Amino acid sequence: MSRKYYVCTGCALLCDDIEVETDNDVVTTVHAACRKGVARMKGCSNPMECTVGGEKADIDSAISMAATILRDAKNPLIFGHGNSSSEAQKKSIGLAKKIGAYIDDTSSFCQGPIIEAILQDKLKTCTLDDIRHKADVIIFWGADPSNSHPRHLSRYSYFPRGQERQRGWEEDRTAITIDIRRSETADICGDTRFYQIPMGGDAEFMEALVSALSNKVPKTSFDFDKKRILELGNVLKKAKFGVICVGLGLVYSLEQLEPLFTLMNKLNEVSSFHLMPMVGQYNMRGFNQNLFVETGYINRLKFNAETGETEHGNNYSVVEVLRDMSVDAALIIGSDPLSSLPLSIARYLAEIPLITIDPCNNLTATRSTVTIPCALGGVESGGTAVRMDGVEIELKKIIETNNPSDEEILTRITEAM
Amino acid sequence: MGFGQFLAAPEIKLKIVTYRDVFQNAAQESSRFGEEYEKLSAIIKLDPRDISRLSITENDTVIVKNSYGRVVVTAQRSGYEDAHPGIAYMVNSPWSNALVPDKTSGTGVPKFKDFEATAQSSKGGKVTGIREIF
Repeated sequence: MSRKYYVCTGCALLCDDIEVETDNDVVTTVHAACRKGVARMKGCSNPMECTVGGEKADIDSAISMAATILRDAKNPLIFGHGNSSSEAQKKSIGLAKKIGAYIDDTSSFCQGPIIEAILQDKLKTCTLDDIRHKADVIIFWGADPSNSHPRHLSRYSYFPRGQERQRGWEEDRTAITIDIRRSETADICGDTRFYQIPMGGDAEFMEALVSALSNKVPKTSFDFDKKRILELGNVLKKAKFGVICVGLGLVYSLEQLEPLFTLMNKLNEVSSFHLMPMVGQYNMRGFNQNLFVETGYINRLKFNAETGETEHGNNYSVVEVLRDMSVDAALIIGSDPLSSLPLSIARYLAEIPLITIDPCNNLTATRSTVTIPCALGGVESGGTAVRMDGVEIELKKIIETNNPSDEEILTRITEAM
Repeated sequence: MGFGQFLAAPEIKLKIVTYRDVFQNAAQESSRFGEEYEKLSAIIKLDPRDISRLSITENDTVIVKNSYGRVVVTAQRSGYEDAHPGIAYMVNSPWSNALVPDKTSGTGVPKFKDFEATAQSSKGGKVTGIREIF
């Protein structure tokens, strides 16, 4: 009998080797997934209810009210998307175009600049499978996959015996952590391969590393041991297939990406280095790619309903439009911005009419005029999603639910407009 | 009520760095309103010297605040070998986000991982519940 494998939607690794046991349309056991993945696939203990104005409602009334809110809004915002299938994301983009909405996703305040640079061919990248089979020097920079992407090291970057890395971590791979704190990942890399830099010191450390790779004396204002930087430079020079896994620690520390471009260019003069964005939500990259195909931008847009043209830029980011109080209603899909945004910004969001589509109850839902429960992606509904490395993965439905998929809900809202 | 209740609790300035924790993340998947999520989220990890400066013991609650927000969270030792006085760690959560400045210099990206706040003993105050953050 052939075994059935499913995809975990716990993070953007989209591990596709998951086996499950079910009973009466409930996932009871999950095999192979990490702690976070098991929790995701088993579903939450407090599912969201279908409500209008805080009272239980049927889905038809909720969709009708959602359409009314969006129709009445002059400057609606559609936000979320990281936990939605690509099919739902495309519906959302279509809806934003139709009603002239602002549209954004969580990449706007996390991995967005890195994904954008990759899609614009400004940074050399590779697939996770390339890392598993070929990578010999792996840098975790401002990233702690032991917590954020627990199977990254075991499935791809450090422990596996890849096609060209048969001796695995013991002999064939060198893992390095550059971070401002000793993370669990830094512990795995070991004392000699952990480079602890001060807060905000990433750009300067990059410059010093470029000096070391150029056979110059590496200097930092925080007086980092020059010998250790030179030694690191030598390891990187000898790499046959190097990777920098970029975490949020690095993204937030860099005011602009120039130091990273300079380092990557230098690394590719002396050896071969690739960059992997450590994307969190399972289909954030999918949203960036889908919007990029449609508009040439990955996020931070406002559509003109009449012309279909777009305005784009920092001023159209979810953070700026909420801080400026430019939006007067919001549709939130698979996200909890009241939890993930700074409170001072989220407070305004809580004051305007909100519609939340999500499988689970969350803070944003508690402040929403309309809540519509949807099927849990990759468990109760299928579709496609894009892994952190840009590879498209098919999600299979495991169990039945009465809740429609987010794609279906968005289709119905669009039709009701 | 002890005599200490009438004394002003010492207040210290901290730079706060946020991080991810798989246990907290799994608890979030199960329920954002669950006890486990609050227990693993509403914490601040401090250098032992800062715990002394605050005149508290581990697992006491502290008020962490700045001009953007205020939360009561549980103080824990960071467990890091290297001393880091003045630098504290909070797991990324609604509790840490309550303190993140909204200033972005027009970039659209707040300083989620690098912001300042003060801490002082809450003198037995209750941890801020997730619904009370708003």
